[in-house]
This record gives sequence, C-alpha cells and structure tokens, in this order.
Amino acid sequence: MKPSLLRSKTLALLLAGVVSLSAAGCAEAPTQAPTQADDKKVTLLYTFKTGSLDPNNGSTPLRAGITETLVKLGSDLSLEGWLAEKWEATNETTWVFTIREGVTFHDGTKADAAAVKASFERGIAASEALAGALKIESMEAAGQTLTIKTTEPYPALPSELVNPSASVISVQAEQKMGKEAFNNAPVGTGPFKVKKFEPNVEVQLERYDGYWAGTPKLKEASFKFNEDANVRALALQSNEADIVYNLPAESIDAIKSNKSLRIESVPGLRAHYILYNYQRPLLQDLKVRQAMNYLLDRESIAKDIMLGNAVPANGPFNSKLPFGSKDPADGADLAKAKALLADAGYTAGADGKLLKDGKPLALELITYKGRPELPLIAQMLQSDAAKAGITVTIKTVENVDAYLKDNKDWDMATYSNLTAPRGDGGYFLNSAFTPEGSLNASKISITRLSDMIKQLNATSDTAGRVKLTQEAVSVINQEVPHSYGVYPNIIVGVNNRIEGWTPGGEEYYMLTHTMDVK
Amino acid sequence: MLIVRKRALQLLIVLLLLSVATFTLMKLASGDPVKTILQADELLVTAADEERLRAELGFDRPLIVQYGQWMWKLLQLDLGKSYVKGKPVWQELMERLPATLQLTAGGMAVLLLISVPLGIAAARYPGRWPDLLSRALALVGAAVPGFWLGLMLVYLFAFKLQLLPSMGKGSLTQIILPSFTLGFPLAAVYARLLRAGLLQSLSHDYIRAARGRGLPEWRVVSLHAFRAALLPVVTVFGMGIGSLLGGAVVVETLFSWPGLGSMAVEAIFSRDYPVIQGYVLLTGVFAVTINLLVDLSYSIIDPRIRYEKGVSL
Repeated sequence: MKPSLLRSKTLALLLAGVVSLSAAGCAEAPTQAPTQADDKKVTLLYTFKTGSLDPNNGSTPLRAGITETLVKLGSDLSLEGWLAEKWEATNETTWVFTIREGVTFHDGTKADAAAVKASFERGIAASEALAGALKIESMEAAGQTLTIKTTEPYPALPSELVNPSASVISVQAEQKMGKEAFNNAPVGTGPFKVKKFEPNVEVQLERYDGYWAGTPKLKEASFKFNEDANVRALALQSNEADIVYNLPAESIDAIKSNKSLRIESVPGLRAHYILYNYQRPLLQDLKVRQAMNYLLDRESIAKDIMLGNAVPANGPFNSKLPFGSKDPADGADLAKAKALLADAGYTAGADGKLLKDGKPLALELITYKGRPELPLIAQMLQSDAAKAGITVTIKTVENVDAYLKDNKDWDMATYSNLTAPRGDGGYFLNSAFTPEGSLNASKISITRLSDMIKQLNATSDTAGRVKLTQEAVSVINQEVPHSYGVYPNIIVGVNNRIEGWTPGGEEYYMLTHTMDVK
Repeated sequence: MLIVRKRALQLLIVLLLLSVATFTLMKLASGDPVKTILQADELLVTAADEERLRAELGFDRPLIVQYGQWMWKLLQLDLGKSYVKGKPVWQELMERLPATLQLTAGGMAVLLLISVPLGIAAARYPGRWPDLLSRALALVGAAVPGFWLGLMLVYLFAFKLQLLPSMGKGSLTQIILPSFTLGFPLAAVYARLLRAGLLQSLSHDYIRAARGRGLPEWRVVSLHAFRAALLPVVTVFGMGIGSLLGGAVVVETLFSWPGLGSMAVEAIFSRDYPVIQGYVLLTGVFAVTINLLVDLSYSIIDPRIRYEKGVSL
C-alpha cells in the first residue's frame, strides 16, 4: 500500500478545487465594485425584480430614468408638470395638455402631442389596468396640444397620469424594433437609455446626451434587483451598490457607524392601519371602534416596532400631504378606552374580561406576513386590548386580500396601503369607502362620506379637491372605519460619494439627471 | 429499449396525476390573479372591474371545465399565457431554464469536487483525520440551512474579503457563491455515502485479489472499488439533481439568480395558474427523465445489471 500517494492525491484534488474556485474569484472581482470617482457610474439596488421592461406594465423603466410621464409628483408630493408643461379642464370630460417643447426620445425623434397620443393608445392596449385607470374615450393631437376626452367626468385624470404605467414611449421605435426587443429596451424620453437588460437581475444604463432638461451628470448607471434585505444591506456595506432601497431596520446601526455611508429615511405615501369589519355586530358599535382606536399605541409602534422609521398616523394620508390631517395623532389612552366601553354597556366579569348581555367582547384579528411589522402590530394590539378586558385572537393568513373578501367572520385586520400613490386622495377614498371599491372588503358605507366622495369625483380644481379630501378625513376620524397606525418611512442606504440626489417619498424617481458622484 | 417505452408511459401517467393535483390544490387555495393584474401600482379599479376580469379569465366556471380547457390546449402543445405578464408560458420557462441549468451545473461541480476526494479519503483512512473531517462536514452540511450558509458566504466573501460579488448573473465569479451554497450541503452527505459504499466494496474478495496481483493502491481504490461503490451514490445523485433542476428557491432569491425556482414562487404568490402548471410539468419531465437515465446508468456502472426481458438483477 502507498498511503502517502493517496493522501497527496486527495489533498491535491481538494486543493485544486479550492484554488480554482478562489482563482476564478480573484480574476474578475475588482471589476464589480464601481468605486472609482471618475467613472461616474452608480449602482442602485432595488427590492422588486422584473422580467420585462414593458413600460406600460411595470414601474422599473420610470424608476430607472428610462421613461417619463406627463405629470409627476414634486418634492412636496404635489402634482407638477413633467413632459406636460401645463394642463386644464375645458369641460368636465375634456382635458387639454400642453406638451413641453424640445423633448426627444432616445432615438432622436420628437416627443410631440401625436407621439404622446400614440403612446397612450399603446398603453391602453397593453394594460387592462391602465385602460381602466385613464378612462380615455378619445384623443386629438395638434402640435404640442393633446386633448383627451374621458368616458365620464374625471377630475383625477392628471393625478392618474403620474402612474409609471402611463409612461410616454416612442411607438415608432417599437414598430422598428418589434415588441419583444422593445420590451427589453424601451425607448423613452428619460435621462438614461438601456444598454443591456438581464431579466430579473439588472438593467445597465447609459446617459442620453439629448436629454431635454440638461445632460445627465452620470455616464452610466446600473439598476439591480435583490429581494433579500440582508444581502442588500451587505451589498451597500461592501460598496457593491451605492444606493440601496428598503433596508432592514436592524442593519441601520451598522450602516450609520460606517463613515462612508448614510441613511436617508423619508416619509412615504403608505399607511399601516387596522380595518374594522362593518358586517360584524360588535364592531357596528362606534364606541367599540373608538375604544380600539384608543388602544392602538401609535408612538410605541413607531418607536419600538418600526425602530423610529415611521411617524404616528392621524388619518389615512400622511400629514405632510396638502390634504393630510394636521391634527396630532391619537395617543394610547386605556382610561378613555375603558370609559367608552363602559358607555357601550360592557362590564368586567370576575376574570376582568368585558361582557355585555352575558357575551364576552372577543374579536378576531387577521394579519399577514407580507410586511413583517404587521404581525407585531397585531400582537401589540392584542396585549393592549387585554388590559381593557377585550380578548383578541390573532389569525395569520397568507393572502390577506382574498381572505377578507372570501370570509365574513373576521372582526379586524392589519392592513397596509399606498393611500396617496399619485399625490391625490381620490384613489384611496374611492377604493376603501365606496361600496364598489376594491379595498372595501367589509362593505363600509357611511352616507356623509359617500356624498363627499361623489362631490370630490366631480371637482377638478386642486384647491377644491384638497378641501373636500380634508373634510372626508375629518369624517373618517369621527366614524373610525379604520384606525390608522403609522406612516412608515422609506429607508434608503446611500454611499456618501452620491451627490445631488435624495430619495422621494413617492418611490418613483430613482435615477435622475442631477445625480452625481464625488 | 423496453425500459424506455415503459418509462415514457409512466411519465405520461405521472404528469397527468401531477397536473390534476396541482390544478386542484391551487384552486382550493384562496385568491386569484385578478388583484395582481388589476392592482398593479394601486390603480383605481372597482370590485365590478375585478368581477368582469374574473369572468373573462373563466374563474367563474366549474373547476372541471377549467381543467378540461387547460388540458385541451396542452394536447395542442399550448401551455397558455401568463395571466400576469401576458407572455406565453413556454417562452417564460425557456427564458428561465438556462439560468437554472447553469446553477445546477455549478452546484454539481462543487458537489463532485468536495464529495469524491473527501469520500475516498474517508474510506481509505477510516477513523483518521479525513474521515473525521468528512463526518464533521456531513453534520454541518445536514444541519446548516441554505439561506444562512448563503448569507454567511456573502458576508465573508463579498463584504469582509471583497473577493466575490454578492449577487447577479453574467460573469464566472457570480456563479461561485450560489453554486457553493447549493452544492455544499449535498456534498457533505454524498461524501459519507461514498465512504460507506467504498468501505463495503474494499472488503470484497476481488479487491484482495487485485491487491494480490500487485496493482497500485490508487488503481484498486479509484477504478475497482470506486466503481462498485457508485451505485447507491448515483441513485441519490439522480434524486438530488431532479430537485436541483426544479430550482433552488432560497439560493435564487438570495443571489438574484433568475431561474425557475424564483419564477415558480412569484407565480404562486400571484396565483398565475398557467405558469405554475407549466413549471410543474417541466420539472415532472426532468425528474422522470433523470431517473430513467440513472436506471440506464446502472448497467454501465455494474455490468451484471441488464434491462433485457426477464433478465434483470
């Protein structure tokens, strides 16, 4: 026997494996980190991947600075012109948009009213959702003027045009390239054009020199996707990415302690809230809903569950929005909750649990893991409700929308929605409080509120819409169909070499022409 | 070629049963893709819009009718279109398959590079350090969850040492970490399997005879004993490769690897039935085909095994 020979062969094999793995690693690794200051390249890492860049069926082309919309949300989240300089309603179903002069698509063709019209026609054919949201009956293009007629009075049209799916693209380019090639490299008007798209992994971009608002400062950019929050955080710390969205709260301290990185935590347009089932007798009692509202500890949710990256909510809309409530958020108040429940006729039994007509006040709370903080909010509410003598049982479901719709016996649910996705309250008020609304699983119907929504749907001037939305919020806060918990912040990790850029609360405009590197 | 014909028939039965089971299970779970189709980016839609689309997609028809329609299309070799993306399912599967094949190949390479040398060394020196090392690795491999191993590798190689990229697909370096995450846990187990097989075959008379003839030890082990020890390893390997091809969901998510596994998870979350069905059928075909290849390979590894009529060992 020659054990030494075998030993050396085995070791050689093992070593060969290890060496070949690490040698391959060393060979190409340096090209991965775009840390040189002069190459003007930025890597942005976002959560949700996409397998297609079809601009009418996804947000990535807009987020990556490839396409733009007629109207956008400004830094204060109010509507402002983008490809459209101005717009006005000439009657209740007619809108006239003036398209900005000097805008060209990446292929050099002019983005005039006729091009925008063709783009919308393409979008409506490509996306059922967009067709339903724009409600366009007909369009006329003359020079830079686009006249849109809607199928019904539709004051929310400018706000709906903020949607990334309403991006303006060159239909002419699509006809030349073919649909499939176009959906991998759409031709828009944005500061960046697609260099290479690796579906579900990365979009490589290069600047568009003919950009209408000035030459983009970056030469190149990479828009990558990764759904794992920990890997995203590590990518920022290893300089593999310069901007990382939706960081896990627990990684924030480590990132803050790194002098080359910073955290940007901006208020978003989302609200986490508790939904009450209006079909359940116990919750038809306003006092019970008000009592639950006082048991929801918003300060603690913001501080302990969201680790300071959220703001206590005082209504459906972030108070930073022009139509958000300016009142302070309700604080947790056990005494007030108990008094309300006593008023409602509940008395404590021998075990401290509340009873009315011999029946206990026991409620089922539905939650889901899609947003990890929601089950924690459910647990906190359960424990605070127990202090008032209310028994709350928590049920975790996989698909909350389907569960709430298909089942009738739930009492409350933790829920989360973008309440003003396009800087207007009309979407949420219509979806959550009208009988036909898609977010109104418990068929909430409040006459006063319904009348206001009808009026809002017929009002096109901005000041009038703001006033009506504020009045609707005030009714919501009196009737308590929902208890709003917090407005979660958007947490973005940024390398300090990035200049001329801050994330917006709308989570839309990520790569911009003003973004620069040191 | 009797076995091939027999297996082709089995394949059809397996696929039929698979499709019925998946179809029924998916429909029993709550939810449908209507929300995903209409609610993209919180567009304003009404419950009536949802009902209309539900009817358009045929979700209001009896389950058996829905299944029948799907099957009728399948017989015409049409897997349908994704509800969510509107793309033909076949195209979607073919777009994702290469990434999964690459990752599977990477995982297999890691598996072989670790398990074969380690298994041989452990069998050759039972109770000594190569054996102890393989035992410790097998324990770690079986105990460590894939997501944790993947994260630790990213932490070490991408963050601390900055040697390898943490994600993406395109360059050779990007496949190393996901391949290792995928291959290592299996490699540890295979090394033990190989060790057991080798120890058994090394005790056989023909090995003693080979040694008696004065053959060098490396030839005895790597040619004679190794071949005999391969049978159980190949069986488990066949089962393993089937599941690898099905897509390693955790690994694909961690490393942004655009393969079949992550596609299936997306489809399940959005209840994109045609994509789920297409995925199940494709992985079913893989699993049965690979098992067939494994069976056929037995007669090459061990010539005593023959698949002729009435003569099988």
